[in-house]
Amino acid sequence: MSESAVVDVLAAVPLLEGWQPPELADLARVLRRRSVKAGELLWPQGGEGREMAFVVEGSVAASLRVSGDRDVEIATVGAGEMVGEIALLDGGPHTMAVHAAESATLLMLGRADFAALLASQSPLAFRLRRRLAALLTARHREQLRLLAASLDGEPPAAAPPAVELEPSGAPDSRYLRRMASFHAFDPLALWGFLTSGRYVRCGAGQTLLAEGVPSEACYLTVNGAVEKLLVRGSRRIRVGLAGPGKPFGYESLIDGGASPVTAVTRERSLLLVIERAAFDTLFAGEDAVSRVILDVIQADLVATLRQTLRPQARLSASL
Amino acid sequence: MCRILAYLGEPLPLRHLLYDPDNSLVTQSYSPRMMNTFLNLAGFGMKAWTPAALRPQEPLSYRATTLPSFDRNLRSLSSQLAPTCLVAHVRGVTYSDEAVVAETNLHPFQFPGCGIVLAHNGHLRGFAGMRYALVEHVRPDLAQRIEGTTDSEWIYALVLSQLEDPFAMPLADELAEATPAALRILRRVRHAAGIETSSPVNLCISTGRSLVATRFSFDYGWYPPEDEMLETDLPFVSLWSTTGGEYARRDDGWQMTAGDPPRSLIIASEPLTVDDAGWLEVPEYSMLTAELTSAGVEFETRDLDV
Repeated sequence: MSESAVVDVLAAVPLLEGWQPPELADLARVLRRRSVKAGELLWPQGGEGREMAFVVEGSVAASLRVSGDRDVEIATVGAGEMVGEIALLDGGPHTMAVHAAESATLLMLGRADFAALLASQSPLAFRLRRRLAALLTARHREQLRLLAASLDGEPPAAAPPAVELEPSGAPDSRYLRRMASFHAFDPLALWGFLTSGRYVRCGAGQTLLAEGVPSEACYLTVNGAVEKLLVRGSRRIRVGLAGPGKPFGYESLIDGGASPVTAVTRERSLLLVIERAAFDTLFAGEDAVSRVILDVIQADLVATLRQTLRPQARLSASL
Repeated sequence: MCRILAYLGEPLPLRHLLYDPDNSLVTQSYSPRMMNTFLNLAGFGMKAWTPAALRPQEPLSYRATTLPSFDRNLRSLSSQLAPTCLVAHVRGVTYSDEAVVAETNLHPFQFPGCGIVLAHNGHLRGFAGMRYALVEHVRPDLAQRIEGTTDSEWIYALVLSQLEDPFAMPLADELAEATPAALRILRRVRHAAGIETSSPVNLCISTGRSLVATRFSFDYGWYPPEDEMLETDLPFVSLWSTTGGEYARRDDGWQMTAGDPPRSLIIASEPLTVDDAGWLEVPEYSMLTAELTSAGVEFETRDLDV
């Protein structure tokens, strides 16, 4: 496979949308071509995340083992799509076993090279982070759609929530710096992020986001807990809990869609509210402060995708 | 700062839970995967109900402040016993001269004459300031049975006090009513004492046939700025479960076999295997109830609204 052929393949990969041919050619040089036969295992569930794969031809299937010694096929990944990036993003094991659904040609990207791409402060790296956020958001929405389909009934009427938010001063910086979500950041960049919005207090049981209504802000829980719910009639599935250091409400701001969940404070909470305009500036920016919000959102999406995978697999197994 | 484990189902060799898997409860005492800085070296305790016992409705008790990994007696017992129900606990304490490492502080707690046992993973912040306010909510005949210095033993007495007869053998539904009632009292007492710091209360309560487990924290996510627990608290109060036919070794490790309806249930602070496929994380603010019946294990997860 010539370098130009690889570049042509990469140009069609959604993750690399907008990359110029010289940039794709640079990437092509660190990729390893791999051919697999139908049924061949790329990596096992729980295996160390050493590589991710772009599918050139054919397809691979991702499956999850659930209790009862059963394997549930979660997705088939075809030409132009990628698989295995979650383990490279968070350093954890591969979420699913992946094997070739048919004979396939793949381009493998190693952990170190992927990390180097993301670690760069270049405009290309920021573009890659934004594309990753968009693609992971789309995948998250699909997971939620499948879970919601398991509940009978219609989603609640799409009415903007009326919530009482009491303005608050900024929390103690010693507390914020010690939060696990913020350990990795430069103090000045973190300060820039944490002063990009306003702080509010909110009692328990307040609806901050309504499923089906676009969010007008990205929230970050400083203290307390916010439940992310799918509600259908009297039934509800809790799909996440945003505790200290966890963002929520960003999906609408990334892709313009409606909020995929209803968000309700489970405890009295102190929140950082980053309004849409400020979020857009941070998300589109290419400096250290933008890096903070991109990293915080990416970490949350990756954790959420991992967490939601098991209920999704159980659901698939029961169908 | 502890790890808990509960089992309900068909007779299962104890060593399959305590020693054999690569993240067994004993392994979690010195190498927990989901705790950042704490080890659980302050002792081991268990209550095990075995059909072969002379009085199978009463659990075998074992508590020792020695490290379970070096405890030959425990290892020997675990090779001989096959309980249908187990509640086990490895205790961790903060590294300070205020911690009391003693057999009377080891979980699971079981007062004389009472068929209910309780183990706790978590801690009530500011407990010294609320202990005596709890006295009025605990039956005197139970309060006088408290021997140790832990918040957990008071929680046990408080849960028992919410039952119509704490010396009877309640079903899971009765335990599932008493447990939130006890937590509501704790919430009121905390509020009155001005305690507003995150305090996890993951409980395993059992009679040998009925089991209730909670994943819950008061004031979730609230810490004072200088709090030493900030970075470790939320991740370590995890709770996981797996259900199926039987917990058995397969080519690729320990896992539940298929079983519909399920015949076995394991609840643990963290999965007993490094490969956690087959385990489900119990959500925060949840209560899991289970009952051992002739058809298997009936269980459900409920929202815990306290």
